[in-house]
Amino acid sequence: MVRLIIDRKDLIDTISSFKKKGFSYLVKILGIDYIDYISVLYILRNLDSDEEIEIEVHLNQNDLWVPTIINIFKGADWYERELYEMFGIEIKGRKVRKLLLEKFSENIYPLRKSFKWGTK
Amino acid sequence: MSLVKINIGPVHPSTHGLLRLVVTLDGDTIVNVEPHVGFLHRGVEKLAENRMYMQIPPFIEKCDYVAKMAMDEAYVATVEAAMGIEPNERAQYERVILLELQRIASHLLWLGAMLNDLGHFFSVFMWTFADRDKVLKLLEEATGQRMFYVNMRLGGLRQEFPKDFEYHALDVLTYLEKRINEYESFIENSSLFKERMYKVGVLSRDDAINLGVSGPVLRASGVNFDVRKDKPYYVYKKLNFKPIVLYNGDNFSRYKVRILEIKESIRLIREAFKQMPDGNATGMPIKLINPAPKNKVVRVSREGPRGEIMFYLVADEQRPYRLAMRTPAFINLAALNHIARGNKFANLFPIIGSLDLVMADVDK
Repeated sequence: MVRLIIDRKDLIDTISSFKKKGFSYLVKILGIDYIDYISVLYILRNLDSDEEIEIEVHLNQNDLWVPTIINIFKGADWYERELYEMFGIEIKGRKVRKLLLEKFSENIYPLRKSFKWGTK
Repeated sequence: MSLVKINIGPVHPSTHGLLRLVVTLDGDTIVNVEPHVGFLHRGVEKLAENRMYMQIPPFIEKCDYVAKMAMDEAYVATVEAAMGIEPNERAQYERVILLELQRIASHLLWLGAMLNDLGHFFSVFMWTFADRDKVLKLLEEATGQRMFYVNMRLGGLRQEFPKDFEYHALDVLTYLEKRINEYESFIENSSLFKERMYKVGVLSRDDAINLGVSGPVLRASGVNFDVRKDKPYYVYKKLNFKPIVLYNGDNFSRYKVRILEIKESIRLIREAFKQMPDGNATGMPIKLINPAPKNKVVRVSREGPRGEIMFYLVADEQRPYRLAMRTPAFINLAALNHIARGNKFANLFPIIGSLDLVMADVDK
């Protein structure tokens, strides 16, 4: 498992350069709340050599946004919307038109650790 | 001509669950399809953070209630990876047999539902449903449950296969093989089927990769990727598994990939029974679980009937710190808009059917 921790400003360049190298398949985008920071992971796969790479971005809790990669991977669309509604991470460069899964819970971000199970 | 918006669902017989679609039409041609999902959202990922490791399989199974075993196994394999446990060889064979039986059951249900969408109302469905029941009986014999098994334990299964299981299973496989050939010959000769399957809902190879679809949908578009082959787990290497790949990317290819996969699964199970060594496949009782190392990160991919199931686990001692899931139907549905655009409205349902959606899998 190769993991690359990069700065947010290099995200678009890194992902598009990996795509040019053959990592043409986006497996998943996911977020993890480590309380000090939230990390966003982009898992890419090379379908010819079956190699995989995880590109990780650490976000400060009071500066939560990432640029969209929808222009590089069309499949990122729903993952980004999910990321926004589960963690409240703003996706810059696209308008998150509406919530995907949690229709009635705006401004509540259930997968953050500060959201306790059993509360509303 | 002005555009017309039509609302379909959330409760509609052809959406296979609670799925709402807002379709924009130009005459009879689809301009845009906007899926609205989330009606079955239960917050499985959050729930998992609040339960002990082996309390999770009972509800994680319900994510994909058509292929329970696949979800169950993928989750338990993730926990095994975090704890550094590997099942013995017999357990690996038994798991492969159960997984392939589950794949057959899932594809049989899909076949009936798909033909329903085409207008063969409930004739084929009843037949495939009866055949699926034979497979479910086998699974019941092996696991003790007909629908929701919760059969995987760390390092093996909850119980060993019963004595006569192999003979019963081989009987059912012989029967199924005959039935699948029958289905194939009469379904593919139906003119209704041909009109709505050939060259309808075409997804090109590049788009399939770019959209990130997986499973039969990806392989029907000519991409040779199957987790069982490319990142082999258990004993798939020894079974000489060959992925089924077709190149047209239309509804028919997606149908055919699944039919051929059933046949391949039948072959795999027979081979697995032949090679299976003696031994005991029973896994650890729940109470004997060692705590997982803190902050260990594991990622496990499995080829489910609907596509790639991936679990990403950040382990804590007694329960997951974070459990992220890649459910296959979620991202296959996200590709619907792209596939359906430009098709006739009447062909929307065959396209949805060919994606093999399970809405609980989409909504998590």
